[in-house]
Amino acid sequence: MLTLKGVGKHFGARVILHGVSLSVPAGSIALLTGQNGAGKSTLLRLMAGLLTPDAGDIRRACPDNAIAYLGHATFLYNELTALENLSFWDRLNGGDGGNARLMETLDRVKLAPFADERAGTFSRGMAQRLNLARVLLRPPSLLLLDEPATGLDARSTAMLRQEIRAARDKGAAVIWITHAPADDASLADTIFSLDGGTLAFSGPPVQWRAKTGPASRGGASC
Amino acid sequence: MLKAACIIASKDIRLVMVRGGAWVQSLLLGLLLVFVFSLSLPAGETASPQTAATLFWLASAFCQVLAFAMLYALEEPTNARAGLMLAPIPVQAVWLGKAMAGMGLILASQAVFFPALVVFLGQHVSGGVWFFLAGLLLADAGMAGLGALVGAVAPGQAARESLLSVIVFPLLIPLLLAGIRLGEAAFGGPPAGLFRWLGIAAAFDAVFLGAAVLLFPFVFGEPQ
Repeated sequence: MLTLKGVGKHFGARVILHGVSLSVPAGSIALLTGQNGAGKSTLLRLMAGLLTPDAGDIRRACPDNAIAYLGHATFLYNELTALENLSFWDRLNGGDGGNARLMETLDRVKLAPFADERAGTFSRGMAQRLNLARVLLRPPSLLLLDEPATGLDARSTAMLRQEIRAARDKGAAVIWITHAPADDASLADTIFSLDGGTLAFSGPPVQWRAKTGPASRGGASC
Repeated sequence: MLKAACIIASKDIRLVMVRGGAWVQSLLLGLLLVFVFSLSLPAGETASPQTAATLFWLASAFCQVLAFAMLYALEEPTNARAGLMLAPIPVQAVWLGKAMAGMGLILASQAVFFPALVVFLGQHVSGGVWFFLAGLLLADAGMAGLGALVGAVAPGQAARESLLSVIVFPLLIPLLLAGIRLGEAAFGGPPAGLFRWLGIAAAFDAVFLGAAVLLFPFVFGEPQ
């Protein structure tokens, strides 16, 4: 579904990524981890097409409207209601903006009772759930998540994990940036770890646990 | 592309109406310009048609700068600009949507400025109104196309307003001159050479709109 070969990116003189090669097949979940500044978010934005690589090649085996990106920013308009926000992004992505489907999506993220409230009045967690609803409007082939659980409570995080698993089961390739790989490894098929802009580890969670030791074995499963 | 542009334009107009503040500010600025000038006229005297038309287009130009700074600022709080970049639409649809929304706001402002000129500067609308309307549409289209291009360049509202003023005003001079000449005709000014000014406005429109379509993908490019 997604293949990167020798991808590099720099901002001015600062090299962010260097020679990153990886592949994520359809119907799988890959965790992307690493320390702050390792280049994870930049790599995800390159995968999404928000940035162009300075070196290497990125191939996506899906149409543009099948790529879903959920980052730190919510892409929501604070003065529009939850329903109006979803309707806007749905129509822009080729949907009909039909209320029934939008309400169903809002219901999936437990925001149906707040459909007519302005997004600007939402808490960080509610805004993130609405952001997730935006992503779920159409089943994605490539789902790119940049720390999607930020601001979510335990129940919402469980719902998020359920949606990620559902997307994978429907054949999507999921790339998921996390700072808690030990917690999220139970969902993953592959873990990629970046260090200083290069790929330091690539393999299944079992190998990751063996490499990183007992500290990574804890955490919740779902 | 037109459908996506209409979706973006209608969303922008709705957001501007909900926020209100910045657009009202541009209206007040234009009205203030007209009102203060009217106070400078000796009692019983009216402004010349040329002066009235110049004030109309100056107010419109200020309105354009504020309108496009405001329209691109709508995307900033939650980086919705990246969402627009990811949407499966031609990137020029964003430019067209912003231009349509901006032109709507400029036209709405002008609908307020025009009667204000008639009232405060004692103008009489006479022959040549069709030339004025044709000039209005041509000059507004050019202003909207250029504003939607330059507005996308600078991140941050303050930087955008400065950049719009510095880059757009010099480029707009031919369009503003055409607008003034054609507007003069509506207030009873000399009717000579109006078709030539229409031709000049149309030519600059073609250049500005063509350049905007070509350049927009580069200026709306990578957010850092």
